[in-house]
Amino acid sequence: MKDPINEPREYRNDARRKMFSSSFSVTCLLVSSLAIVVLATLLLSIFSTGGGWLSAEMLTASHRENNPEESGIGQAIIGSLVICTICGLAALPIGVGTAIFLEEFKPKNRFLRMLHGLVQLNINNLAGVPSIVYGILGLTAFVYMFGAFSPIRVNDQPDYEIGATYSYQTKTLGGNYVRFPATPKIQPFFEIKQPRQVSSSEGQPFKLNVVSATTDAAEYKDKLEETVILGTKAELTSHNGVESYTTQTLGGTTVFFKAEPTYSQFAKILEPLMVSDPEGNTFELNVLSKSDAIPTNPEVLSKSVFADSPDPTKRSSASIFRENSFFHMHLPFSKSVLSAGLTLALVILPIVIIASQEAIRGVPQTLREAAFGMGATRWQVVRSAVLPSAIPGIMTGAILAMSRAVGEAAPLLAVMGGVLGTTNHLSSLMDKTPVLPVTIFKWAGDENQGFEHLAAAAIIVLLAFLLLMNSVAIFIRYRYEKKLA
Amino acid sequence: MQKLATPSNRAQGRSLSKSTKYQASTATIDSSSESMMTAIDIANFNAFYGTFQALHDLNLKIPRQQVTAFIGPSGCGKSTLLKWCNRMNDIVPIAHATGSLKVGDRNILSRNTDVVDLRRQVGMVFQKANPFPKSIFDNVAYGARLHYKISRSELYELVEWSLKKAALWDEVKDRLKSSALGLSGGQQQRLCIARAIATGPEILLMDEPCSALDPASTARIEDLIFELRRQFTIVIVTHNMQQAARCSDRTAFFFEGKIVEEGATEDVFTRPQKQQTEDYVTGKFG
Amino acid sequence: MSDQSLGQGELLAPPASPRREFRPRSSKSSKRWQAVVVTGLVFCALVSVFTTIGIIVMLVVESWGFFADDQIEIWKFLTGTKWTVGQTQGELSYGIWPLLSGTLRITGIAMMIALPMGLISAIYLSEYASKRIRSLLKPTLEILAGIPTVVLGFFAVKFITPYMLEPLGDFKTFNATSAGIAVGILCIPLVTSLAEDALQAVPNRLREGGYGLGATRLEVTLKVVVPAALSGIISAFLLALARAIGETMVVALAAGSTPTLTLDPRMPSQTMTGFIVETFKSESVVPGTLSYFSIYAVAAVLFLITFGITLIGQIIRMKYREVYD
Repeated sequence: MKDPINEPREYRNDARRKMFSSSFSVTCLLVSSLAIVVLATLLLSIFSTGGGWLSAEMLTASHRENNPEESGIGQAIIGSLVICTICGLAALPIGVGTAIFLEEFKPKNRFLRMLHGLVQLNINNLAGVPSIVYGILGLTAFVYMFGAFSPIRVNDQPDYEIGATYSYQTKTLGGNYVRFPATPKIQPFFEIKQPRQVSSSEGQPFKLNVVSATTDAAEYKDKLEETVILGTKAELTSHNGVESYTTQTLGGTTVFFKAEPTYSQFAKILEPLMVSDPEGNTFELNVLSKSDAIPTNPEVLSKSVFADSPDPTKRSSASIFRENSFFHMHLPFSKSVLSAGLTLALVILPIVIIASQEAIRGVPQTLREAAFGMGATRWQVVRSAVLPSAIPGIMTGAILAMSRAVGEAAPLLAVMGGVLGTTNHLSSLMDKTPVLPVTIFKWAGDENQGFEHLAAAAIIVLLAFLLLMNSVAIFIRYRYEKKLA
Repeated sequence: MQKLATPSNRAQGRSLSKSTKYQASTATIDSSSESMMTAIDIANFNAFYGTFQALHDLNLKIPRQQVTAFIGPSGCGKSTLLKWCNRMNDIVPIAHATGSLKVGDRNILSRNTDVVDLRRQVGMVFQKANPFPKSIFDNVAYGARLHYKISRSELYELVEWSLKKAALWDEVKDRLKSSALGLSGGQQQRLCIARAIATGPEILLMDEPCSALDPASTARIEDLIFELRRQFTIVIVTHNMQQAARCSDRTAFFFEGKIVEEGATEDVFTRPQKQQTEDYVTGKFG
Repeated sequence: MSDQSLGQGELLAPPASPRREFRPRSSKSSKRWQAVVVTGLVFCALVSVFTTIGIIVMLVVESWGFFADDQIEIWKFLTGTKWTVGQTQGELSYGIWPLLSGTLRITGIAMMIALPMGLISAIYLSEYASKRIRSLLKPTLEILAGIPTVVLGFFAVKFITPYMLEPLGDFKTFNATSAGIAVGILCIPLVTSLAEDALQAVPNRLREGGYGLGATRLEVTLKVVVPAALSGIISAFLLALARAIGETMVVALAAGSTPTLTLDPRMPSQTMTGFIVETFKSESVVPGTLSYFSIYAVAAVLFLITFGITLIGQIIRMKYREVYD
């Protein structure tokens, strides 16, 4: 009997196997290097397109329609910074808190452990949700707040608001503007512009639908009793002793809803009153009647208006004017930097959590034992032993997450729309603002060729900004590592 | 071996009640009373990791002001018992135990044990030196800051006292503010001992405190242990039988989750009662 | 006794412990504080739970607004082959397939690029690369991963299409191929880093076993390491797939805004995400209108697909992690 190992056999070709192996290594190297080629091409093409358009003016100017030569990214840079600050302030504490909870407060109870695992799985999954979905969530949850409040339209005051002062503004005969304070009053008429809760004369509450006059009301043909045409005027009346507005629906039912004091859009000026100009000077406004001669002295002219009258050429209408303080807030948040910042915070939250978890997991268990052994409570262990060691990792992760936020365009498009420029400077959290990535997106799609170069220049600024943030992350890591060693 | 068996009254008088105030002893206590001589009283103790039983029906009294060594091959459960003495096993989710483990007159296994308070009284030094990434001063002050309302000057005094106790003061007094991670391994371990005694514990648990150290550092720590027992009850887990022989008063030999033999160190090493003990101390297995 | 720092006399009369006079802090107060902190932490953790609930509730409720509309039948939505929502003229068609097929086409092209390249790069980094090449390749991939997608979209429409594709054939200005290539580029770093993690998790003893039998490096890599890391690699592929499906800015810039149902990669091809952005960009979305609700219906489909793929990827990843731990 011969051992099978001693059977004569041919060797497989060693040289060929070795050749395959080394040629595979070369292939790998070539394929991997493609990443470098791609990156280089990308940077080169962007620098060659936009490099020449970088200038101090471009960095400070704001968008001008059809005029790329004079457009710039001043507002966009500030907008991006503000939104990222809000995003960071919201996402970092919540993210780090969640990570601490998940890593350091693992429950013993089986059921709670399962819940704990589910939260973890959920976070990993959230990291894979497309950012545009977060954008839609931001639109629903922050901008419209699930429709819990009436939507905010231009020139309407929101239901819940702080930090805004209303006044009426009118133009004097001298051409300058003056203002006088406005007080909310119950108006004799109310224009129905949106669906609202009403009650029938029997007190039965229901939702009143609104159809635009042009829309075929067929859609609501079964519900005409509960439908009015957009802009229907409701009159002031007293219903069960409450000041209410009343109107008739298309179906002929009479409905009532409570009258709230509001600012009317326009105020009539009938007699002299105290006004102030934008510089803050207060003086009495002369009110001229139709028949009065128009004064010639410019000083007097700038303090005079016509009394309100049917004659449109000799009428001064004072219209509502809102001034927002820096802390101006209202519900819902509408399309504002606050909504945008919070939405971005949701986008980066899973990234912050996962990075912080990894940093916390990297803290050696012996440190925890040491603190526990001294009689520290779990939170004291976290605060004094775990967090100090995990901070560099957390900071690095946080900055990387923030750099993701800086470059996000899709959620901001959803939440603020494609804003390219605003007339006012960003003064409160409720303002809209252009941001860098959205600006780049809109410019890249602009038909005017100049904007293509401008978009490339804006990309260079954005990339420089990201590079800066990443360098800070590396610096922090390096410094802490040195300090701890 | 030099034996200093006289316990000091000072430490004995410390009460272990929950709202302990550390006071110099004024009470006179019958030092012969057995219950007052016992620091840790273990009875019918079983410990489990999940379904695995790590310790079987242990009965052991650990006397005050003495060094008790737990010896035995790895996996015999000696560290597990040590960790139960200040409930460090609470960190391990699957660990649980039955029976009675009394520190003073409290069964610390009971649900309503205040582990924070317990760990103040039962300090622990770990296998590997684990200083916090903070300054030397902050490391030693850590426990005191946790547990006491204490002024800065008192804190400084306490840190100095603890470092002197741990025989580290002369080496670090000029650099209290520098990072504890800059110390050598042996110094770090002594720092951990200083840190543990700065909380004013009654009992010090040491889990193989020298296993990661070189012989010179080991010798210093052993000396330290020998000195410290005047004030603290010390329980030390060790792999090293020479170490147990050198610095302990009493020795318990563990094997496969049971205490095979327990008694005065000299007896266990020179006149073991059980064959297994003899085999182990003479190096036949382990 | 060799201790130098403490004299014998000092030992016999130790300094009075200063701790006698200290009033202990009550451990109750630190526990109460801990309870407050833990409550705070629980609320932090709940934010992400409510995010998920918020997304699901929002998509269900608002898509309901779409399907409850008298003009809409859910069956036609799922099977229809024409999509004209948001267009002002013509008959209303709302079949999701043109958008879905646009997504699939671009994702397919992207995966044809990202999967092989990402995997090969991962193998190279994990098994072959010298330290120097690694220190060059790793940062490059990290930078590539950090490039905002809107920048890649710009690159696709201003460089890939005119300079790489148009010389090759009759490509439209906006086409599926350039968008697919750009999406592929942005998926490469993701595939590489996840697959490399999986390869590195394979214990060295397996490799040693292979080499010990006289296998070449290629044979060890392909017959030992890659099969051992397979579940990790598959999960990397799935996560990249989800990422590509959800990618928005690249397709919004490079793929055009015409929903098409074709296999021709030279044609424009609006995706689900592309449609959503197009609707937002025009700023004509008014809550309560059909095109507003249609966003949610499309987003619901998008969310279902990506969430499902991510979930499967996560589960596979968890499984393989357990194997060698």
